[in-house]
Amino acid sequence: MKHLLRTLFGLGAAAAAIGFMCYHLNSAPELHAAVRKGDAMAWLRTDFNLDERQFAEIQRLHENYAPSCEEHCRMIQEAIQARDALRKTNGDDLVAAAEAERTLQQLRATCESAITTHVYQVAAVMSPADGKRYLALVLPKIADFDHQVAPDLKLESRHQH
Amino acid sequence: MNTSRDKLSEILQDWRVKPPSDPGFRAAVWRRIGQQGEATWSAYLRAHTAAWAVAAVLTFSVAGVAGRALAQARVEADRETMVVSYLVELDPRAQAILKQ
Repeated sequence: MKHLLRTLFGLGAAAAAIGFMCYHLNSAPELHAAVRKGDAMAWLRTDFNLDERQFAEIQRLHENYAPSCEEHCRMIQEAIQARDALRKTNGDDLVAAAEAERTLQQLRATCESAITTHVYQVAAVMSPADGKRYLALVLPKIADFDHQVAPDLKLESRHQH
Repeated sequence: MNTSRDKLSEILQDWRVKPPSDPGFRAAVWRRIGQQGEATWSAYLRAHTAAWAVAAVLTFSVAGVAGRALAQARVEADRETMVVSYLVELDPRAQAILKQ
């Protein structure tokens, strides 16, 4: 019995060491660090193996894209406010409500098109394999924004422009 | 015949063994018991080599796969978090929701 327990203990200890080693070998410390810091650009850099030139080019693309992002953001906000105001003050006017909703959806579609173009530009800076992986990660979320990203925003408390 | 047997009985009855006292006797006995225990574990392992080898291969495989799966699950979860965080920074629709 003593030998059995001793052998089981040895086996368990060795298995724990092997499990820990496999965990360590397959983890991504830089990705976890980026998550802890909430640094999306650090994630982009480490997860898509960007060198200095690629990283600088992507930062430049983001900076160029930011003004149009802000403009789209402002227009969508105004459209939402207009639609909500219309619903409150004139709820019976279905034509006006539908028009306001259509304007909002058009703005969202324009915005989706702009961000899709932007991420394709970003992907083009990466290596072909990394670019493909990047697009596979972000495009479905952009296309299915209402279901995949919007629910998470309820937890967000600050604007990140 | 009976006389010689009686003599032998008398001799045996009178025979006393008086060994010299050995102060290290007990320690030597415990040492031998200890050595016997160690040998027994290795003997136990030798006797069950096949069973323990199979158990070791299975246990180590499960541990390795589990460690890898845990690490990958964490990487995927963290990546998902970062994709959402990244898109929130880029997507005006997200910004509009956050500003409301």
